[in-house]
Amino acid sequence: MSVAGTLALAAVESLGAAARATAVAPPTGLSTAFVGDAVDWEFVFRNADYLGVGALLTIGLTVASILLGFVVGFPAGAVEVYGDGYLKRAVNVAGVVLRGTPIVVILIVMYFVVGVPQINLGVVSISSAMTAGILGLGLRSAAYQSQIFRATLASVDDGQLEAGRSLGLSRFEAVRYVVVPQALRRSIPGFQNEFTIVLKDTSIVFAIGLAELLTRGYDLFSEQTTAVLEVILFISAIYFVLTFTTNRALDRLGSYYAIPEGEST
Amino acid sequence: MSDDDFLRVTDVSKWYGEEQVLHDVSFEMDRGDVTVLIGPSGSGKSTMLRCVNRLAEAQEGSILLDGEEVLSPDLDVDELRREVGMVFQGFNLFAHLTAVGNVALGPRRVLGLSETEARERAEDQLERVGLGEQFDSYPAELSGGQQQRVGIARALAMEPKLMLFDEPTSALDPELIGEVLEVMHGLVDEGMTMLVVTHEMSFARAVADEVVFLDDGRVVERGPPEQLFERPEEERTGRFLERIASHD
Repeated sequence: MSVAGTLALAAVESLGAAARATAVAPPTGLSTAFVGDAVDWEFVFRNADYLGVGALLTIGLTVASILLGFVVGFPAGAVEVYGDGYLKRAVNVAGVVLRGTPIVVILIVMYFVVGVPQINLGVVSISSAMTAGILGLGLRSAAYQSQIFRATLASVDDGQLEAGRSLGLSRFEAVRYVVVPQALRRSIPGFQNEFTIVLKDTSIVFAIGLAELLTRGYDLFSEQTTAVLEVILFISAIYFVLTFTTNRALDRLGSYYAIPEGEST
Repeated sequence: MSDDDFLRVTDVSKWYGEEQVLHDVSFEMDRGDVTVLIGPSGSGKSTMLRCVNRLAEAQEGSILLDGEEVLSPDLDVDELRREVGMVFQGFNLFAHLTAVGNVALGPRRVLGLSETEARERAEDQLERVGLGEQFDSYPAELSGGQQQRVGIARALAMEPKLMLFDEPTSALDPELIGEVLEVMHGLVDEGMTMLVVTHEMSFARAVADEVVFLDDGRVVERGPPEQLFERPEEERTGRFLERIASHD
């Protein structure tokens, strides 16, 4: 059930179809093979709000999953560095299992096996598929984010913790006030990767029946099979805008909190 | 050796695994004393120093500070460290905080001072070590000598009753050592009780009340600097001092 493979095949066929189409219809000045067909673009724009709803779902899933991933993944990373005994082992095993399981399997388990309920928050109600999607993507992201934070927490020199403790800070306080602020700064590049991965992996929720951006694109070009290229380009542009703006925002955050470095040592 | 010694270290031994790094080390200090620990690298002098604030754990012996047993398992180590300042060889300044932030952290988070009080205290301490112009500089923006003075100010801001110096000038370029020693001389003049591990023999000669020579984790010889430096009784002490002198 390779979605990517199916899409790639469809895209290739569509390019062929586009080429044939331009051979019949007179070209409008430019070669239209790589920018698509006017009729198909018109089809895409007519359905832009259908795709827009998918984009909103994608954004919602990404934000919720990344947040859940942070809230669970950060403490998990800290336990892997500073914890011991059963807790550390449990966190470690959970991480290995989550990272070693295909995301489709995680989502299907959440939805069909665990059977998470619908959640009513008064104003909005979150469907059980959406809840399963957030939990699945979020917990897997937690497993990866824990490794980002484990690495950056461990990268802070031991002398920092020792200096904090020499002032009379408890171990927890020294980690909290001295190590964590430095580790979080170092986590930003890894976090950017993780964000991009989660954003693109939200497409896998089609497996539990959620129609996010890519699934809706698939629906659209199934309806008008000559428009595969146009739909894919349009969707890619949305993904690009989302990843680009978020990464730039995180770059900004990184340079705002960057620790000044002088020339002298 | 009176009953009211301020710091009394008695027969302290420590092992790293199988290897014994301290063998029955003993010495004592009065309030306001400066004791300098000297010895070749690996002699255990830094380890001995770190046992006093429990950054290293001694397995045997006794360390009485102001009448309290430091090595007692019931001791609150955080409270002990609140009262014992430490200056590190590698400075260990908090890299993400300014000079003021470094010095204010302890007063703010350990002593519970308000933001403003902690900042004021930090500024006072930085002025005390001659860094009135560098309040908002980050460690990486400071020279090594300036960083170490921030390190001293950070320890002083807790108003410790004992200061530990672990080779405070060993990581510094020669031209930067003077400014740190000058601050330390100032502390001696103010009557601070100081236990110092250093290779700066001129400093030891000038200010130490007692010099303790350690080798192989044992106290080989101890005494006032003029005696230990001019008329060492042990052959090993003499050899060590000659080696050091040839590098000066």
